[in-house]
Amino acid sequence: MPDAAPAPPTPPANPNVLAGEFVGLRRHLFWLAFKTGILTVLTLGFYRFWMKTRLRRWYWSAIRIGGIPLEYVGDPIEKLLGFLVAVVILAFYIGVVNLLLMFASFALFQGNFAAYLLSFLGVIPIWFYAQYRARRYVLARTRWRGLRFGLEPAAWGYAWRSLLYWGLTLVSAGLLWPLMTFRLEKYKTDRTSWGTARLTQGGRWTMLYPSAKWLFIGIVAGLATAVIAFSSSPDNALLPGLAAILVLPFGLVYYRVDSLRRLTETKKMQEITLKMRPSSLRVFGIYVGGYLFAGILLGLIMGLVFFVTIGAFLGTAENFGTDTFDPEILFQGNHPVLIAIGVATYFAVFLLWSVLMQTYVTMPIMRHYASVLELHGADNIKDIRQRPRDEHIEAEGFAEALDVGASI
Amino acid sequence: MSDALFPPARRDHHTGRFFDGIVPMPIKAEVWVDASQRALIIETTDITETWPLLDVRLIPDQADKARLVLRLHGDPLRRLVLPDHRLLPDLPHATRRAPVIQRSKLFVWAAAAVASVGLIAFVLVPLMADQLAEFIPPEGEHALGEVTLEQIRGALSENVDGVHFCTKAPGRSALDQMQNRLTQAMDAPPQLTVHVLDHPMVNAFALPGGHIVLFKGLIDKAADPEEIAAVFAHEIGHVVSRDPTRHALRSAGSIGVLGLLFGDFAGGAMMLLLTEQLIAAQYSRDAEAQADVFAYQVLQRAGISPAELADMFERFRSLGGEISGIEAHFMSHPALGDRIAQARAAVPTGFESRALLSQSQWADLQTICDQTSTFDQAQ
Ligand SMILES: [Zn+2]
Repeated sequence: MPDAAPAPPTPPANPNVLAGEFVGLRRHLFWLAFKTGILTVLTLGFYRFWMKTRLRRWYWSAIRIGGIPLEYVGDPIEKLLGFLVAVVILAFYIGVVNLLLMFASFALFQGNFAAYLLSFLGVIPIWFYAQYRARRYVLARTRWRGLRFGLEPAAWGYAWRSLLYWGLTLVSAGLLWPLMTFRLEKYKTDRTSWGTARLTQGGRWTMLYPSAKWLFIGIVAGLATAVIAFSSSPDNALLPGLAAILVLPFGLVYYRVDSLRRLTETKKMQEITLKMRPSSLRVFGIYVGGYLFAGILLGLIMGLVFFVTIGAFLGTAENFGTDTFDPEILFQGNHPVLIAIGVATYFAVFLLWSVLMQTYVTMPIMRHYASVLELHGADNIKDIRQRPRDEHIEAEGFAEALDVGASI
Repeated sequence: MSDALFPPARRDHHTGRFFDGIVPMPIKAEVWVDASQRALIIETTDITETWPLLDVRLIPDQADKARLVLRLHGDPLRRLVLPDHRLLPDLPHATRRAPVIQRSKLFVWAAAAVASVGLIAFVLVPLMADQLAEFIPPEGEHALGEVTLEQIRGALSENVDGVHFCTKAPGRSALDQMQNRLTQAMDAPPQLTVHVLDHPMVNAFALPGGHIVLFKGLIDKAADPEEIAAVFAHEIGHVVSRDPTRHALRSAGSIGVLGLLFGDFAGGAMMLLLTEQLIAAQYSRDAEAQADVFAYQVLQRAGISPAELADMFERFRSLGGEISGIEAHFMSHPALGDRIAQARAAVPTGFESRALLSQSQWADLQTICDQTSTFDQAQ
């Protein structure tokens, strides 16, 4: 592929419709992720605020709607600051609360299980809180056509609703999952703005049941496997078991993709709407292919490191004229060279894995979503105006400190 | 380039798109460098912007490497998009970093974060742990010790089932005899659970709830059973003053706090540090001195010379090269030399020692690791 910018988008037949596209090249992202990843490792993780900022800047600038890209204006320093603020608050919680829990757990239950369980449960509301705050930060630092996005500060409301709907989902054995997906998305969407325009989430929660069809088929197959395995012989359970293993992961992807489509197409901003035609098979293929490729590549590299190390040790043993090589010494784990190789391998694997995930999973999925997106009602854009800046002092600090999963 | 959005412009003039950051519509602009003003002129049908060349900045990390996105230093909103890089050589400070505007705030919060983590991990949590250690019931304390023991066994071994316990029966009974001799010399002997771990480390430590762990390396390196008894007595001293319980509660609170500062990728390293902490068991100088004094008294009353502790310390010192870093809190403060001298001074004049184990019992103890198990009957 030539290094020139991708061909300009052909002007859509209808000027009222803006088409989405993704213009970034994989190798550019690879180098950006690799460079910033190395700096992150070298700075013991502190460069990660810069890494995240730069990656987001790249991704956002790659996504264009009607030829105009998004812009990410987040600042690494404010992320670092937010992280420090979160550390100050969480240090107390994690230190003192964990100690008390540990004490109570041993004093009352003679084990640490209760403490782990309680400290895990105690972190869950903060986790949802952090998730919402992180989204608010990212939206506040995202612009399109020069206008800011925004999300109202309502994180605790989101946290307790998340707990409630997760509880309902668990109690209903997953049957109310669509309710959770819909209500939480509606909560976030109804508080989202672009410039002066407010978004609203339309539709009903029951519209997400068709999205869950493959998931439910997979669950039924799984239940059938269990029933057959217990009632007759495990041999008969092989077929439904295999079906469950194949269908469940696809069902999960299908649910995510199809519910995203339905939720996106029922969003509305004044008279502006979105259309989206993502392919679940394509996204599933990206996941499978990306993980397989990254796994095989890393496996090969680690195998190579292993054999080169053994080879080098054999070589030195011969050079020094010592007696036959004893592979045992390799696994004693005290040799400084081995420790160095071990640490370097750990970091290299960590780095390569995250770079490969960026380039072979995150980016292709984003590219797919961007390229199947359409904005309808573009006429109404011109009446929207800028919104004021949301300072948001602790940025996504809580999410950062609690490691609330977000690949970028 | 024949982008419909960027029709060709006059020579030295560029056609760009201007976003004013108020209205969401791209405004077609004619852009050129005015050498006399040393400025970039951006002219639209309605307005003319004058951006000093020194203040024009590039928006970095763009996915589309062909286009140029520019902003004016100090202006958060306005953007100029150009179809190519021809203007770049005229912009001397295009890639200059934005100044850190929140520098002082940043320092304040960084200091606050480090201070609060430090205060909580090294002051508040230890203080609370010391208080709580007094209130933990015996069963809870014993369970805490078992969990810690399992962690250490796991950390010291690559096997899934951890380092094995040494369980050969004759060696076990020799050890029991040694334990009885020591506990009979105490006014209020604590409940003890003694383990021998099949590991070459020359070390011993006490865990919460009266667990005492001796390593095979310690038994191998000791010249006589009395030296082991001396170390044993020192560890009982820690049990009596509940040092391990305080220590375990402290690490439960502190490690998580320290782990906060690092991202996920250093998380694995943090767990290693945790177990290393447990093994290194850096008690305070006072705690060590107290355990030594306790050991002198018990040894004396049991008819064993406190100088045996000095002998064992000297052995640790001579092994110094071999036992590095994490081995044995015996190496740490108070300075080993002082402790040796104090142990020798603790021998009363005219002290007569009584034999601890017979030759054959000592041989049994030395071969206790001929039979090992993942489960210790001692429990
Ligand atoms: Zn000690």
